[in-house]
Amino acid sequence: METISKYTVSFGASLAITSILSALLVVVKELNENSVLAWMKGLTSHHWITHGLFMVIAFFVIGWGLAKMNNGEGLKMTPERLVCVIASGVVIGGLIISGFYLVD
Amino acid sequence: MTEIILMAHVLFGMLCIVAGVWLFVDVLHANEANQGRIRTMSMAVAVLMWLAYLVGGYWYLTFYYVDKAIILKGPWPFAHSFFMEMKEHVAIMLLLLVTYLPIAAANNTATNKGARKLLLWVVGFVVLIGVAIDGAGAIIGIGAKLGLMAAKG
Repeated sequence: METISKYTVSFGASLAITSILSALLVVVKELNENSVLAWMKGLTSHHWITHGLFMVIAFFVIGWGLAKMNNGEGLKMTPERLVCVIASGVVIGGLIISGFYLVD
Repeated sequence: MTEIILMAHVLFGMLCIVAGVWLFVDVLHANEANQGRIRTMSMAVAVLMWLAYLVGGYWYLTFYYVDKAIILKGPWPFAHSFFMEMKEHVAIMLLLLVTYLPIAAANNTATNKGARKLLLWVVGFVVLIGVAIDGAGAIIGIGAKLGLMAAKG
């Protein structure tokens, strides 16, 4: 069976997770302008800067954490499954964002 | 100066898409001889997208409020309320995709079919989302133009 590096698998899974997290954060902050959005604005002067920073940090932290799983061997997944996970994360994330602003 | 910043944003974005298409074709024809180029192009796509994001982000945070007001008062308010809102957040997802690209390209795509398939999917998403975001940018531009025309009467 063909394998790919533990970092490719771990950061690939992190990409999918972070894409969905980012889309959910869009919904949460837009629906809570006076609390969540205002707090994010207060952190860096603009909620969009905070959003971007949070997601880049989350991508590396989650990816690094998944690479440390299984006594340092990292998350296990076939390349085919990883493609499905990444495609699902990106498509679901994109649909949540587009759908939210379409109905908002 | 404002226009130059905005044009630099579009230029880096377009170069990112072109580099992405180049990378896609290179990965389709992956062999031992082009592994170095595949990794270099993966890095180039990532750097170009980060530049587009940072330059565009600076323009968005510093100058866009003027265009936003014009668009919202014009005949195409959805150019901001849908296309700009969607673009600014999907761009973050695109940023994560390009950051992942060099990690996926570190595998040998000449001998590993699974790694090749993965890289093709990731760079395919980069190109498709890049084109979609570029189109959204064009709609935002038209929204501002129509807003100005409406204000002039």
